Amino acid sequence: MFKLRDTRTSLIALGVGVSVAIMGAFSHAEPLGLGETATEEQIAGWDIDIRPDGKGLPDGRGTIEAGEALYEERCATCHGLFGEGEGRWPVLAGGQGTLKDERPTKTVGSYWPYASTLYDYIRRAMPFTAPRSLSDQQVYDVTAYVLYLNEIVEEDFVLTKESLASIEMPNKDNFFVDPRPDVKNTRCMDKCADPKKLMIAGTLKGITPVGHFVEGADAPAASHDAQMEKEREEEKLRKAHITGEALSTQHKVKAASLSELALAGKATYEGACKVCHGSGLTGSPKVGDSDAWSARIKKGMPQLLDHAIHGFSGDTGVMPPKGGRVDLSDKQVEQAVAYMVESSQ
Amino acid sequence: MSKIIKGPNTRELMEQMVQESEHLSINDRRDFLRKGVVAAAGIAATTFAGRSISAEINPANLPPNEPAWGKQLGHGVVEQPYGLPSTFEKQVVRRTVPWLTADSIASISMTPLQDLKGIITPNGLVFERYHGGVPQINPDEHRLILHGLVERPLIFTMEDLMRFPSVSEIKFIECPANGGMEWKGAQMEALQFTHGMLSCCEWTGVPLRVLLEEAGVKPEGKWILAEGADGAHMSRSIPLEKALEDTLVVYAQNGEMLRPEQGYPLRLLNPGWEGNTSIKWLRRLEVGDQPWYHREETSKYTDLMPDGRARKFTFVQETNSVITSPCPEKPLVKPGFVEIEGLAWSGRGKIKHVDISFDGGVSWVPAKLKGLVLDKALTRFSLVTKWTGQPWLLQSRSVDETGYVQPTLSQLREVRGGNSIYHKNSIHTWKVAPTGEVTNVQIT
Ligand code: HEC
Ligand code: HEC
Repeated sequence: MFKLRDTRTSLIALGVGVSVAIMGAFSHAEPLGLGETATEEQIAGWDIDIRPDGKGLPDGRGTIEAGEALYEERCATCHGLFGEGEGRWPVLAGGQGTLKDERPTKTVGSYWPYASTLYDYIRRAMPFTAPRSLSDQQVYDVTAYVLYLNEIVEEDFVLTKESLASIEMPNKDNFFVDPRPDVKNTRCMDKCADPKKLMIAGTLKGITPVGHFVEGADAPAASHDAQMEKEREEEKLRKAHITGEALSTQHKVKAASLSELALAGKATYEGACKVCHGSGLTGSPKVGDSDAWSARIKKGMPQLLDHAIHGFSGDTGVMPPKGGRVDLSDKQVEQAVAYMVESSQ
Repeated sequence: MSKIIKGPNTRELMEQMVQESEHLSINDRRDFLRKGVVAAAGIAATTFAGRSISAEINPANLPPNEPAWGKQLGHGVVEQPYGLPSTFEKQVVRRTVPWLTADSIASISMTPLQDLKGIITPNGLVFERYHGGVPQINPDEHRLILHGLVERPLIFTMEDLMRFPSVSEIKFIECPANGGMEWKGAQMEALQFTHGMLSCCEWTGVPLRVLLEEAGVKPEGKWILAEGADGAHMSRSIPLEKALEDTLVVYAQNGEMLRPEQGYPLRLLNPGWEGNTSIKWLRRLEVGDQPWYHREETSKYTDLMPDGRARKFTFVQETNSVITSPCPEKPLVKPGFVEIEGLAWSGRGKIKHVDISFDGGVSWVPAKLKGLVLDKALTRFSLVTKWTGQPWLLQSRSVDETGYVQPTLSQLREVRGGNSIYHKNSIHTWKVAPTGEVTNVQIT
């Protein structure tokens, strides 16, 4: 056990005198007695970490078959059926042999040094919209499957405490401890470079949101929301261009036409519901898509609200109670539902 | 007043350089990647929509007239129980670049460095980085568990933690990906996006070593795992030496309790180290005998080198600096006197010198360090000079107390290639056009 340096000497050197002598009596040589002893049970509930040597792994037995079903249900909407990643969501598989390329693809298989990290990360953070919702057993299954997608294990592999710690990841030996400082500049003051040899390259206009200081800038949107809207509009334009169809503006959310209840729900919607309902993730009806909502709206507000508050498993997916945000009041959920419904009529 | 004497020779040199740069930037095209970069050494005339232009000026409020606000009363006390900035400052906000991430919940926003004064970042403007959004934590229900290789595992309430003797320290916090979009070429058209993953606050809390002493670390203890209480349960392994040296367990920032975005009610702060090690919403510290190699220290926050191998545990934020005035958001508006200002910082200690170059790094003059010069804190520098409409290639170069000199981009690229994402601390260049417009360019 280490000891802290006694603070008395340095304080006395500063001439703080008597009060220091009193403080000295309480200086940190002795514990202050603050905090309680943590019980084993308390620790066990939170101690979720796994180490490369397998320390921390619970009992369990993961199979590719069970993992596949779970992966397709809970992970594929974002990470793609084969781990290829939908849209900008992370890629989980492939990329082996690309680390020296101009554009490397860093994945579990191509980059991660330890398989334990995968179990640990899925258990602590995935699926993204419902962290800590999988059982330890389910984490084994889906971990086995992601390893399988990366061709690190065979189809009949069974993932256990022991087998996981013994997996050798392909890129394991390619990490080394930070050697910085690795470059050495000098404080030259004059004739430090040959002006004739300097190469100057500027930025490509239009890839940063600069509307706040450049007038009439053709720049991307300033928020994820607006960016999604922009991409949707571009896609519509593109399609209309191909089909020669006239553009309908029907889907646009018109803030002016929203009720007060709905307007009050916008913030809740954005903070708690948009992850799924903004894009139609996990089979949720997308806000603004009147086709996806018309049949639901016919059920009536009370039923929709009941489903939103208590959860609902329908034909297209699972709506978790309050979208997983149990901290929300019923009122907030009601406002959010109103916002979603009125924006989707 | 002017420290720089710009003779006609320098001016000729500058003009020649600008002409060359236009030429080179076109030849250079091939060298940059798909989306990357290019061009724009030639100045596309852009109009600036600064506040003074977009806001209407009512002459009735100008002298000799008595302005409207002098002829009526304003609002009384506690109209705003928690005060807000003037409505005329509404452009001073955090901003994001949406295409960088799939969603706003696992994403990043940047501090408007171009609008800040001094070295302290106001709480509402500290850059944001979340992996699972901002949790709303009831402090009475928040607990910190300290366990693992300790004599006595402990569980603390916020009240317990706030009873420990506290310390307050001014430290910067920077995301190691700050500037990371610029490894392969200049991409970001504004200071907020090139350098804004950076903030500096006065943090109040308990030194981690005091808590460790309370629990009693066993001799085998070498590493500490820190973990968040949010949905991402963000985790990082931190060597015990750092924890004993200067890591803080923090509950307040700039005089008030932490903002939810900054980890309310409790966070870690590893001064001078990459921001993600300063785990927010801190709920657990485990002492172990080896690192855990979690996702945020393997898949992410490791630096890929050109040979396909990667550096791990790249903790320190090496010295860096940037000129914040002028910058793309704050162009030069009038010839005459200008104060060039900027920020310098080092994760290894104090800033010792900052030099400024007007000619793309050919010659340098020392700037003055202004105000407080603190260990691992933002340090403001300044140089008063005159601008007569000449083009500038403005750069700043910091030197920290270890003698390490901020490197050039070429020096970094030569060793690290273009795919390491993190820790790009190279000398930054703003090109000042004769119109006063400022753009982001790279000089190699
Ligand atoms: C709603 C979309 C979504 C779903 C569904 C989802 N994830 Fe993720 N996943 C993400 C995001 C976003 C990240 C990155 C988070 C961050 O940046 O901190 C991520 C990261 C990951 C990573 C780390 C990737 C890397 O290279 O570092 C793994 C592994 C992963 N998810 C596995 C899963 C598994 C297994 C499931 C199903 C049980 C799942 N995810 C479901 C969105 C999702
Ligand atoms: C994790 C993703 C997810 C989140 C977050 C989420 N939802 Fe849903 N929601 C769904 C899915 C999936 C459905 C469709 C279920 C079905 O019909 O199969 C749904 C359906 C609904 C419906 C229609 C129910 C019906 O009876 O047809 C409402 C209303 C709704 N959600 C409201 C909300 C509100 C309000 C929030 C935020 C507080 C929210 N949702 C957050 C996934 C989500």
